[in-house]
Order: sequence, then C-alpha cells, then structure tokens
Amino acid sequence: MSSILFVALPLLFGFVTPVLAKLGKDGVAYASTLMQAFLLYLAFSLLSGDSSHIEVISIAPPLGISFTLNSASLLFVALFTFMMTLFSLYYLSHRKTDAYKNETKFFILINMLLAASIGLVLSSDIFNIYVFFEIAGISAYILSAYEKTPSALEAGLKYLITGALASVFLIFAIVLIYMNLGSLNLGVIAQGFESLAFNTKLLISLLLLIGFGFKVEIFPLNFWVVDVYQGSSTLINSLFSAIVVKAYLFVFFHIAYLFLPSAEFSVFLIYLGGLSMLVAEIAGLRQTNLKRLFAYSSLGQVALIFTAFALQNRDAIQAALFIVLAHSIAKAIIFFALTSIQKEHKSMDIETLKELNSPFLRAIMLIAILSLLGIPLFAGFVGKLLVLKSLAVSGFIGVLVIIIIASLLESVYYFKLAGFMFAKGEKREALEIDFTQKLVFSLLAFLLLTIGTMPFIFSGFLSESASVMLDSSTYILNLMGGR
Amino acid sequence: MFEYLNDSTTIKYIVTIGSMALFFVGLFGLLSQKHFIKIFISIATMETALFLFFIGNMFNKNFTAPIISEGFTDIAKMNDPIPHALILTAIVIGMAVLALGVSMSIEYYKLTGNTDIDKMNEMRH
Repeated sequence: MSSILFVALPLLFGFVTPVLAKLGKDGVAYASTLMQAFLLYLAFSLLSGDSSHIEVISIAPPLGISFTLNSASLLFVALFTFMMTLFSLYYLSHRKTDAYKNETKFFILINMLLAASIGLVLSSDIFNIYVFFEIAGISAYILSAYEKTPSALEAGLKYLITGALASVFLIFAIVLIYMNLGSLNLGVIAQGFESLAFNTKLLISLLLLIGFGFKVEIFPLNFWVVDVYQGSSTLINSLFSAIVVKAYLFVFFHIAYLFLPSAEFSVFLIYLGGLSMLVAEIAGLRQTNLKRLFAYSSLGQVALIFTAFALQNRDAIQAALFIVLAHSIAKAIIFFALTSIQKEHKSMDIETLKELNSPFLRAIMLIAILSLLGIPLFAGFVGKLLVLKSLAVSGFIGVLVIIIIASLLESVYYFKLAGFMFAKGEKREALEIDFTQKLVFSLLAFLLLTIGTMPFIFSGFLSESASVMLDSSTYILNLMGGR
Repeated sequence: MFEYLNDSTTIKYIVTIGSMALFFVGLFGLLSQKHFIKIFISIATMETALFLFFIGNMFNKNFTAPIISEGFTDIAKMNDPIPHALILTAIVIGMAVLALGVSMSIEYYKLTGNTDIDKMNEMRH
C-alpha cells in the first residue's frame, strides 16, 4: 500500500486545504510540511527496511494501472520527499516576511508537483506516465507564473507552450504504441517492442525522445529553460532543478532501458548529451544574471547526467545517480541562498555578490559551487570521476574530451562567481539568516561533504539501484506477475 | 454511390491521411504564427488530429459498443473501449492546459499590451 500513499497523500491534501485554512493563517503551511515530513519518514523507513524493497501494485494486469516501487524508484522517491521537506522548512521561515499571495493555492501546487513527480517515477503504465507528465507540467506552469509580473507570466507562457508541444509528441508515441501492441503496460510493451518493424520502432523512439527531450532539457529542445528560470521566482527554481527535471530524466531512461530500438540509438543519445553540455557551458560563460547563470549550469549538469544514463551500463548509471544526488542538493543550496540574497538586495545581478555581507552564506554557497564543479572531497567529484571513467572504459574518447572541455569552461564562470563573492569592496550591512534556514543550509552542505568524503556509504545502495534500473527482465517479470 | 465508403479499409485510409494532414496544418500554424491565441489553436489542432487518427483507426464499424448488458455474450465483437477512455482523458487534460494558457496570455496582455510571441523579451533588459 505504501507506494500509493506517496502519490495519494499530496493529491488529497488539496481537498483538505479549505478546512485547514479555517484553522488560521499557518494551518495549511504546517500541515503541508508535516505531511511531507511523514512521506519522508515513510520513504526512509522503506530504505532502511529489508533489502529487496519491491512492491508492485497492479489492478488486473496487464490491462489495469500499476505502480512499481523498487530500489531505483525508491531512491528517487526518497530524494524528492527529502528535497520537498527541506523546501517547506526553508519556506516556513521565509514566509514570515515574504509570503506568496494566496498561500493556500501555493501549497496545493507544490504538493501537486510532488505527487506528480513521484507518480512519474512509480508508474509502470505509459498512459499513467502521460497523466503525471501533464499534472507535473500544469503545476509547474502555474508556479512559474505565480507572481504575475510580466516576466513571470512570460516564463509561464513559454513553459506552457513548450510543455503542451511536448505532450502532443508524447501522445503521438503512446497512440502508435497502443495501435501496434494493444497495451499500455510497460511490461507488455517491452516484451513486444522488439518484434515491431524497424521504422515503427524508430518513429516511436524519436517521438518519445522529442516529447521527453523538451522536459529533460536536452539540446536543441532546451531553448525555453533559461528564460523560465529567470522569470520564475528564485525559490521555485530550486524545485525545478532539484525535483522536476530529475523525475523526467528517470522516467525517460527507465522507458529507454525497457525498449531501446538499437545500440546506435544509445550512441546517438551519448553524443547528444555531450553536445548539450558543451553548448550549455559555452552559453553560460557570458551571463551576468545569477539566475540565468545557474540555469545554464543546470543545463550542463543535466546533460552530464543524460550522457551517463545513456551509456547504459551499471557503473555509468551509478555515476549518474551520484550526480543526481549531488546536483539536487547543490542546486537547492544555491537557489535557497539566492532567495535570501534577493530578499535583501532586490537584485540578481552578479555584482550583488560583491556587496554580500554574510560569511555563512558565502561559505555555504562556496561548498555548493565546488561540488558542482567537481572538486575532490565534494559530492560532485565522485559522480564526475565515475562518468569519465566509464566513458573511457566504453571507448567514447570523443565525448570524454568534450565533457572535459565543457567542465573547464564551467570552471571559468564558477571561479568568476567565487571571485565576486570574495571580492574586497563596500559591503552592505550584515544579512540575517534565521535559525531554521541555517539548519537547512547546514544539513545540505553536510550531506555534500559526506557524499564527497565517504562515497562508500552510498555506493552500495546506488549500485544496487543502478542494476535494478538496468535489469528489465526482472522488472517485466514482477510487473506481469502482478505481485 | 459512395458504397466504397462502407469498406472499413477505405475509411481507415481516409482517416489516416486526413488526420495527418490536419496534424501538419497544426504544426505549420505553430511554426508560422506569432499570436498567442493562434499558437494555442495550432497546438489544439495537432492534438485533435491525433485523437481523430487514434479513434478512427481503432474503431470497427461492424462491432458493437463496448457495453455489457444482459444476455450479451459476443464479447469478441465489441469495440475496444480503451482508446475511447484514453482519448477522453487526453481531451480533458488538453482542454485544461489550453484554458490555463489562454488565461495566462490574457493576464500578460493586460500587463504589457503584447500578444506577439516574438516580442516577449522581458528578460533581455
């Protein structure tokens, strides 16, 4: 039953909010955080439970809808609930001074986003995936345009138009799959996909690639991303970067491992990932707006994760999972910190960092930046090293060189940022950060350092998740057995 | 006259060619038009073309409606209900996204007086 709770509780929360809103101004805020903390507890109790954690909920297979909770999806569920709980904790102290308008709606939306991201990861039914794809999309569009300023609305509109286009291509793929195989269940599709004509397979794969390509922010379908990051409010960006993209990445590769048409296609994906990273880092060099700059950095990191997943072997997927963890945590730190800075300085220009007067924020942001950069002893290093290693082992030297060049370009703007942060000059008066926020920042930074210095704590579980993700025959067996 | 239209293969050819033509009309509109509302209409056209394509191809004229009533045994001669259920859901979702998009563009127009997607450049200054 537990895997349904992850989706059902946040969605049902929306219906309870009118009652909770009657309890007072803070009722909804605290109830939402408590619910997320409960989901987090649930996810971690499953993580620390027995080693197999497989749960398949299936109503009348292969026709009905089904959810699969295994080591791979559980990792993502735990990550999402963790990130969302910390987001809520940060927001609880942020809202004392800068609450969003119509907060009740805001809480409904973030919980919808959480439910849809978890649903995407858990679903084993391609039409369910489409439904969650749209729910995540709709809540993200509204959150993006939430402040109703011209730039927020512009971001929301751009997001919505590209999202609607992506969903058209996804429906096209689903329609073709159903017409050819007569089922929507991922297990049945995976079994029959091999027998289809090559052209049909190629068409379906391309449609899926375009549909998900918009959402996993892959070149050349990522033109909208930076504008959306810049227009949306800074706090929301942490959700986009830490949760939403990761859900789409997981589901895209989950589907790809189950029915990829040929080895050439995966080579194509590897080069696409390398190219995306290079393009993102080159474009990132000239940025002077902090949100825009970190949007480009997100594009680069996501492309790196994409390349690692596309390599399709256990070590590479383990590396990808390491980067997923490191990137989510680091981007949460960065966007929370930028929110605190924006509240005080009212500007997101790179020059504002010079006036920043808060040793704590500077230190925390430096840790996050060093981790994104992949400096030894920080979390980003482990993933990046493992990716480079598996690229070398698999013989993709060209992509290896591209990624190293892209990382060097990345380091140029990160060091520029660090230079601005530690520049001497006129400082503002000290920026106050209250206790809860300090706690959130310290916890995230501590995790980055823990993953960086002691990766062996995590590598066992991540390696297991990677092999579970790759092992499609067991997945199909569990799904069709309807256990 | 037009007896050949009773042949389900002919109908499927017509449906497939017609709906794909409609899909590309939508795609052309999406790429050539600049007005928000026209872009939303283009996306809706593309979606509708897919719905027509799917339903038209999965529907068999000689089969019955997928309703199990008393005394009914010939389940093999029933139309598949899944495409209909699927498309109904997709229509509802598409409608919701469209409504959201239109309301966002109205808000945006109220604030900036702009309806042109090429002139959306709040970020560049």
